[in-house]
Amino acid sequence: MKPPEMKTGLTISALAHAALLLWGLLSLAARPLEAAPTDALPVDIISDKQFSEMTKGVKNAPKDAKPAPLVEKVGDPKPVDDSTAKINEKKELKASKAEVEPPPPPPEPKPKPKPPEAKPEKKPPPKVDPIAETLKKEEAKKKAEEKKAQEKAKEEAKRKPPPKPQPKFDPNKIAALLDKREPQRQASVGETLVPVPGLGTPTGSAAKLSQSEIDALRARLMQLWNVPAGVQNPDELKVTILVTIGRDRKLSAPPRVLTSGRGPLYVAARDSAVRALFLSQPFDMLRPDHYEQWKEIEITFDPRYMFGGG
Amino acid sequence: MNPGDVAHSVLPLTSSDLSLFALFWQAHWLVKCVMLGLLIASVWVWAIVIDKVMLYTRTRRAMDRFEQAFWSGQSLEELYKTLSARPAHSMAALFVAAMREWKRSFESHARSFAGLQTRIEKVMDVTIAREVERLERRLLVLATVGSAGPFIGLFGTVWGIMTSFQSIAASKNTSLAVVAPGIAEALFATAMGLIAAIPATIFYNKFISEVNRQAQRLEGFADEFSAILSRQIDERGAQ
Repeated sequence: MKPPEMKTGLTISALAHAALLLWGLLSLAARPLEAAPTDALPVDIISDKQFSEMTKGVKNAPKDAKPAPLVEKVGDPKPVDDSTAKINEKKELKASKAEVEPPPPPPEPKPKPKPPEAKPEKKPPPKVDPIAETLKKEEAKKKAEEKKAQEKAKEEAKRKPPPKPQPKFDPNKIAALLDKREPQRQASVGETLVPVPGLGTPTGSAAKLSQSEIDALRARLMQLWNVPAGVQNPDELKVTILVTIGRDRKLSAPPRVLTSGRGPLYVAARDSAVRALFLSQPFDMLRPDHYEQWKEIEITFDPRYMFGGG
Repeated sequence: MNPGDVAHSVLPLTSSDLSLFALFWQAHWLVKCVMLGLLIASVWVWAIVIDKVMLYTRTRRAMDRFEQAFWSGQSLEELYKTLSARPAHSMAALFVAAMREWKRSFESHARSFAGLQTRIEKVMDVTIAREVERLERRLLVLATVGSAGPFIGLFGTVWGIMTSFQSIAASKNTSLAVVAPGIAEALFATAMGLIAAIPATIFYNKFISEVNRQAQRLEGFADEFSAILSRQIDERGAQ
């Protein structure tokens, strides 16, 4: 038994819900809650060795199509050092003069040196005097050279560089005044800062001894270290030596053996290691920039790694 | 891998359209069922609410009118004749039932009035119970929706979040674009549950108090009317 009033209630309710849903559809569709895609951040995991190789700069690195020059500071474009521009100027001047008088050919200096050379060639038939000839030739050469030098001096005098702009105090360039680096230092100047030179990075000489330097040293020492092969306990032959190296990349103090062991084999291995240190001087593979890092190194001579090439 | 490629490979999986319709359409069928059920529940709840508000207003007004007529000094016989012509509700029904029982006893010329008082009270009790039942009908729907709606919505939410976890597992990516649609649709289910449940609970409490007030008013009238009738019975018996 459904009372009739329930029908009206149902109708009103359904209509109200439909209206509400429609409103929701329109209002929420007008400004959809967009979830903008965010850029993913790719992360690569590299080893120390890869990193040192990456920052080191490699000689056979692929060359960029347009390698940018290293620029450390921004400077004004250099005032006219442009040869092509000068040639153009001269040509214009000559063109205007050409109406008044015939243009003297620009390679004038060359014809003059030629006659003295031509003379000795023509003269030989009447006089057959080799000594005189050679003397004349030398004289002619000297004359030609002198003339050439004079011409050059004239040309250089003509090509006077425009007067350099007087240094003015510019408050915008206080940074340059505060620069404590040597003024004689030749900082590369360009229009935009290019901190990265073509091959390698300026921070390639990181203040960390690169793994490859130690590896090179170790490889050199291992070459010189003679250890009896086929020992039962290779662990007992491990020798750790504290090495003190001077700025001349030579041992500055006698190496101190830090490990201790027993037996003739150990003594042989230890002495061989010390010998290897002396023999491998100077340590050319160490870069002087990293002196602080390699002035004291602990080197472990381990027979297990000796034959593995490590 | 290019970051842009990642973003584009993810996008087709999850169109980032979070409009109301899209939220419903992308959802799992179970979540769709939950949403549809909650929508129907909401429609039904509001239908009941509108119906009950109309019913209670009408009942209150009818009671007021009847009480005015009853205490106006009009003859009860006349009042009974006008009211019994058409089906009456609430207080009028109570009056008609009691009067019918009274008249039936007198028209049959019963000798004894001993059981009449009890019979009239019984009849009035039954009428009150029927009227209260009419007022209270479907209020339980409101109570049920009010208490179960959030749970049903929560079920849809849990299911939607499971779906979004599955999409994380499928794309092996936890970016917002992957997680957002699943969670949005999941929370949409909870929102619908709350939208259905909150009015249901509020109106259930309001209607229950309204029904209690009207029932007390009916009982008060029944007591008063039975007092009047018992005085009449005593007067007739004394004659």
